[in-house]
Amino acid sequence: MKKKSITVLIAMCALASVGYSAPLKTDLPEPQLMGTPNPKWDEGVKNLYKGKVKWPEVPDGVTNLAKGKAVTSSDDFPLLGELEFVTDGDKDAGEGYFVELGPGLQWVQVDLAKESEIHAIVVWHYHSQLRAYHDVVVQISNDPEFKKDVTTIFNNDYDNSAKLGKGSDKVYGETNEGWPIAVKGVKGQYVRLHSNGSTSGEMNHYIEVEVFGK
Amino acid sequence: MSNQLEQKNTDLTNVTRREFVSSAAALGTGLVVASKPMKSLAESAKKEDLNVAVIGFGSQGKVLMDAMLQIPSGVRFKAICDVWPYKQKYAQRYLQKFKHDVNVYTDYQDMLDSEKDLDCVIVASPDFVHADHTNAALRAGCHVYCEKLMSNTVEGARSMVLTQRETGKLLQIGHQRRSNPRYIHAKEKLIDEANLCGRITTINGQWNRAVKEDDTWPKKYEIDQSTLDKYGYANMFEFRNWRWFKQYGGGPISDLGAHQIDIYNWFLDANPQSIIAGGGVDFYDKHEWYDNVMAIYEYEGKLGKTRAFYQVQTTTSAGGGYYEYFMGTGGAIKISENPKYTQVFQEAGADWAEWIDKGYIKQGASGGGGGYNPLAPKPWDKPKGGSGKVDVRETAALVSWDIPVDLGNKKIHQFHLENFFDSVRGETALNCPADKAFASSVMILAANEAVGAQKMLKFEPSEFIA
Repeated sequence: MKKKSITVLIAMCALASVGYSAPLKTDLPEPQLMGTPNPKWDEGVKNLYKGKVKWPEVPDGVTNLAKGKAVTSSDDFPLLGELEFVTDGDKDAGEGYFVELGPGLQWVQVDLAKESEIHAIVVWHYHSQLRAYHDVVVQISNDPEFKKDVTTIFNNDYDNSAKLGKGSDKVYGETNEGWPIAVKGVKGQYVRLHSNGSTSGEMNHYIEVEVFGK
Repeated sequence: MSNQLEQKNTDLTNVTRREFVSSAAALGTGLVVASKPMKSLAESAKKEDLNVAVIGFGSQGKVLMDAMLQIPSGVRFKAICDVWPYKQKYAQRYLQKFKHDVNVYTDYQDMLDSEKDLDCVIVASPDFVHADHTNAALRAGCHVYCEKLMSNTVEGARSMVLTQRETGKLLQIGHQRRSNPRYIHAKEKLIDEANLCGRITTINGQWNRAVKEDDTWPKKYEIDQSTLDKYGYANMFEFRNWRWFKQYGGGPISDLGAHQIDIYNWFLDANPQSIIAGGGVDFYDKHEWYDNVMAIYEYEGKLGKTRAFYQVQTTTSAGGGYYEYFMGTGGAIKISENPKYTQVFQEAGADWAEWIDKGYIKQGASGGGGGYNPLAPKPWDKPKGGSGKVDVRETAALVSWDIPVDLGNKKIHQFHLENFFDSVRGETALNCPADKAFASSVMILAANEAVGAQKMLKFEPSEFIA
């Protein structure tokens, strides 16, 4: 599968003042949309794509700390695929590259092996069909149980249906570009990502999660 | 199931749905509105479970499974069969989430030999094994719902009809539009009763999809070659992309067009007399089947000749989605599984007051009779900017109406599956029994033949009878 690299151009003067001196770079998979376009989606959800991905500014020297790291989840028996897919570096959309978790609110958790300074997280849920996932909540903690010292860095659960607190981040549509989240140096060993089904069904999917930091 | 019930079901497959409804109404069973869907399982009291197995858990098997899982009672999954262990595990875990513990098989015959209490088998395997799977399940005493196209060969489809007759079991083919309440309303109310279209002179249908990459598979889930050989696949690429190869399927005209061309026959109550078609492998370099096909069928219907065009494109999603468009002297019905594409158009001289009063059609969201927009420029308005010209020969845009049938939250395959399960219980008749689907199979497979022959092909009426 061909990859293309994206480089985000940023104003160097703006970066100098906050210590961010390098654009985030990551490989993007090829778009692989399947099936017939759904006008219901086009009408109701397509706006989610407008002005979509904003690539965060990150300091020099950040790397993807999640690559190859252990992944656990709230679903002891994922329906399809393996949890290791979440950090295996492969972002293809096809069959066999994503893990599917059960219905309702579920999470995956990446163990970075040690406390790290995190500057950006990028998540690809599923991109062979236009869809948006509900209640996307991303948290960082040093507690593997996420019972204390939890920092929520993204939350689009606008009605608090996941009971993790009401969020104000935007609902977004899935594409091959994933969804990058700026983190600004939050420290923690564990990253937990929640979702609660999607506009296409009750199940939850992850192709890849990248955690950029030091 | 009792012998008495089986006999009843066998009899029901030999009458049309309209005849059945009329008979039921005459007997005072309360089925008085033929255009409404049969009472669904969801609306009924809890029903006795039917034990169900599924052969094939690919994309279409999953679609059917999702639809069946929406049925609140009366379906108990017992077994899944798929030659790919990756999908076996998926199916088993998927069903576990919904409290169904199923046995898993690689070989369909092993499954039929081992599972002794099955009532129904859902066949969603590739087309080239539909006949093997369906015939074996029927002979094992099961009623079968088989995905369309019945088979990638006329011989395979014929064998399915003959086995159904021989066994007396039910065989529903997955042309699910035939159970869609919106389509039933269009056929029974708007065409048959109200004759809104007048004489249908032209049909236009299409399903256009954008280019997509071939299906892939991860190395760790590759099926070994001996297993592929055993189940008839040349290699893993063809296993994953079987729809594009002549050995396994009928190509896009079968995968997509079959649903819609089947509706041509249903709405016209006729089979075509001829077909001429063009197409080719215009874009993809690893495929055998034509990625773009354009076909014209000619019908001699009750009211006269109808020419029916159909195109399937897999290189562009342009052109307005997927629909069937029945155009006549009095009006036109553009219909699709997606309500977005569905509208009824009234010719200027047609008087539809009676049908509007009866609620057969309704005002659209834009008001004033569907598509009429009082703010839109009138034919007599001065063109803005000075660049326009009024062409008095141009026909005014037709007033449009909506079809007042809301499918609610049901998945589009659910109606057809409910019709199948209700038929197994003896509560109704199949909406797409094998003999009707056989006629559609003949004409759809002929499209590929016509492309290859590069000439018009004539049908004999006997070709449509198994």
